[in-house]
Amino acid sequence: MLGTYFYHEIIRKTIVGFGTLFNNIYIRHLNKDGSVADETKVGLSYGPTQKFLAKIQQQEDLSKPIAITLPRMSFEMVGLQYDPARKTSVTQTFRACDDNGNIKKVYMPVPYNVTFELSIYSKLNDDALQIVEQILPFFQPSFNLTIDLIDSIGEKKDIPIVMDSIDMQDDYEGDFATRRALIYTLRFTAKTYLFGPIADSTDGLIRKVQVDLYSDTNTQTAKREMRYTVVPDPIDAEPGDDFGFTELWETFSDSKEYSPTQQTDI
Amino acid sequence: MALNPFFLQGSSNEQFLIQDLVNEQLKIYGIEVYYLPRKFIDTDKIFRESQTSKFDDNFIIEAYLNNYDGYAPGSDIMTKFGLRLKNEINLIISKERFEEYITPILSGRVQGIELGFINDYDLEVVTRPREGDLIYFPLGERFFEVKRVEHEKPFYQLGKNYIYELQCELFEYENEDIDTTIEEIDRKLEDEGYITSLILGGTISEATATADIDDGVVSQIILSDDGSFYSSNPIVSIQNSPSFTLSNDSTDNATAVAITTSVGNVRSIKSIRITNGGRGYNISNPPLVTITDSSGSGAIATAVVSNGSINALQITNPGSEYYIEPIVTIGGPSVGQTASARAIFNPITGEISGIQIVNSGYGYTEAPTVQISSASTVSIGGTYLYNETVIGSLSGTIAQVKYYNSRTDLNQSNPPGDLRVSINSGQFSPGEVIVGSASSAAYILKSYDNDNYGEEYDANEEIETEADSIIDFTEINPFGEF
Repeated sequence: MLGTYFYHEIIRKTIVGFGTLFNNIYIRHLNKDGSVADETKVGLSYGPTQKFLAKIQQQEDLSKPIAITLPRMSFEMVGLQYDPARKTSVTQTFRACDDNGNIKKVYMPVPYNVTFELSIYSKLNDDALQIVEQILPFFQPSFNLTIDLIDSIGEKKDIPIVMDSIDMQDDYEGDFATRRALIYTLRFTAKTYLFGPIADSTDGLIRKVQVDLYSDTNTQTAKREMRYTVVPDPIDAEPGDDFGFTELWETFSDSKEYSPTQQTDI
Repeated sequence: MALNPFFLQGSSNEQFLIQDLVNEQLKIYGIEVYYLPRKFIDTDKIFRESQTSKFDDNFIIEAYLNNYDGYAPGSDIMTKFGLRLKNEINLIISKERFEEYITPILSGRVQGIELGFINDYDLEVVTRPREGDLIYFPLGERFFEVKRVEHEKPFYQLGKNYIYELQCELFEYENEDIDTTIEEIDRKLEDEGYITSLILGGTISEATATADIDDGVVSQIILSDDGSFYSSNPIVSIQNSPSFTLSNDSTDNATAVAITTSVGNVRSIKSIRITNGGRGYNISNPPLVTITDSSGSGAIATAVVSNGSINALQITNPGSEYYIEPIVTIGGPSVGQTASARAIFNPITGEISGIQIVNSGYGYTEAPTVQISSASTVSIGGTYLYNETVIGSLSGTIAQVKYYNSRTDLNQSNPPGDLRVSINSGQFSPGEVIVGSASSAAYILKSYDNDNYGEEYDANEEIETEADSIIDFTEINPFGEF
């Protein structure tokens, strides 16, 4: 029943969109005289990975001389929940036009919340604070991202990224055999939309509207006497184009009627 | 009397004997490790953290490796932050050797700090091995950080302790400056930390140009209204020269380009520069100037016509390694006004691609000299040294060399290639000269990539690249573009 293949990569796009918010954060350390000693772009990656790939890529040299380089950030999707608050009618559809000008029939998307965790691992408290402080002011508590969820129909949606919570872990207590671990965990919810399969619409693009006017309401006997026709200008304009309309009024006294099947006056 | 009166139970001589035996044992069964003391460059007194440290001293000392069965199993773990190694070692060093070899040298440094001879770092506690110091372990080719120093094991044999046990774990690296002058040690961090990549230009040559002068030249275009909402390429049209109808020579007609500027997302005309001043225009009846654009409007400009003005500047040699705009200097007339012009460079090839006239002056009776400043006043060449400090001539950014692809066959098509640096104090900018502090090597920076070179964990660039095609930052990414 559900077998129609489709994959819009919406969840992937939401993940990438979320990640790109945090991929340009820097921290600085100072010299004794207050000048900048070093400036570091904080590395960011999607946390989950294949273990063997991580091993061969990050420990190319088995005698890696250090434990890890810090600071680092990682993010990952930790959950998906249906959001009933944004529910729309399941039978409601809208029309969209693909890149080739074909009309597509699209059911209203289904609202889902994607939960993310952004983790910040630093060596120094001040490093973590520099990173966190560059993130928090943009979330009040949400930040809107406009994501092109389905490229083929140009469906751009505003996805609010809502900050849910901030946890911090600073294991500085205990014996000296255990190293201090300073990790901030920020939880976010991205309010995204999932689209089902997109079908070709049987409806064509309306390129001409014609209205016939009669002098009597009994159209069995009365014949059309006036006709209003409107077409886009230019005639081959697409929905996304900047176009006008050409209107035409015609009067008739030939006692004919328009046949929709033959598409002519008979 | 509880103790045996025939033994002294800890006389100085007995203690010396034990210490000597310990030292002897360590020299026989130990291994050589490098002790790298931490120097505190900046310490946060509120958070009580060493913000910036350096390790540029090294002491080779014998130590007994107390890990008879190697590192503990499961020393490499997978975390959400990538691979993390947790290798630990225990080293035993002689108390006497530390106090007689390392302590005096570090004490001298402390004295230097107290007397003000050393003012770029601090040292704390020099009488014993310190937590936070590093051990370079040559067998494993790794850096270990001392987590804890045990000084009472064995427990007061003959009334004294003779060894330190250093409990160490692999070092977590964060741009600490490790410059011991021992290449084996320093080179181990060649690929670690935040490393940025600089593409350098090759040898430089100075661009040259000549000027043509004529009468009835459009010498200046004065902007009286800058308009608004222009695209980046508005078209400037100047009425044809009266002489064009006779000569049919298109060079008689003046041409110009508009330079735009954007403030608060509103782009307007900043100035109009002449690309050809034309000839044969009437001084008292200057040509009309119109600015047309697909989106903008409102800009108004008027032309000034002069005699004895520069109407064109011809590039005779495009030069090389121009990644910032050079200064164009034009000789002045004996009586009249000196012309001024701006050079246009190609950021890909580094060549001068055009010269635009800002004001073509007047009163010239012969073609003036045109000089285009060199891409660098510093002589280009040399070989950067590993770990030396380099400084950007314009940005003032300081960094340490991690890698330099040295070549001897430098030319235009064969630039020196990569320079990779770490511990940057900021960002470098294309066009500036990167000068080595020790080697005096200097090359012009062609392009700078602030992505972390070669760090497999970091996916900043990949995320940005994929996001560019799906995210619509109609205004601007408030977090900054990658």
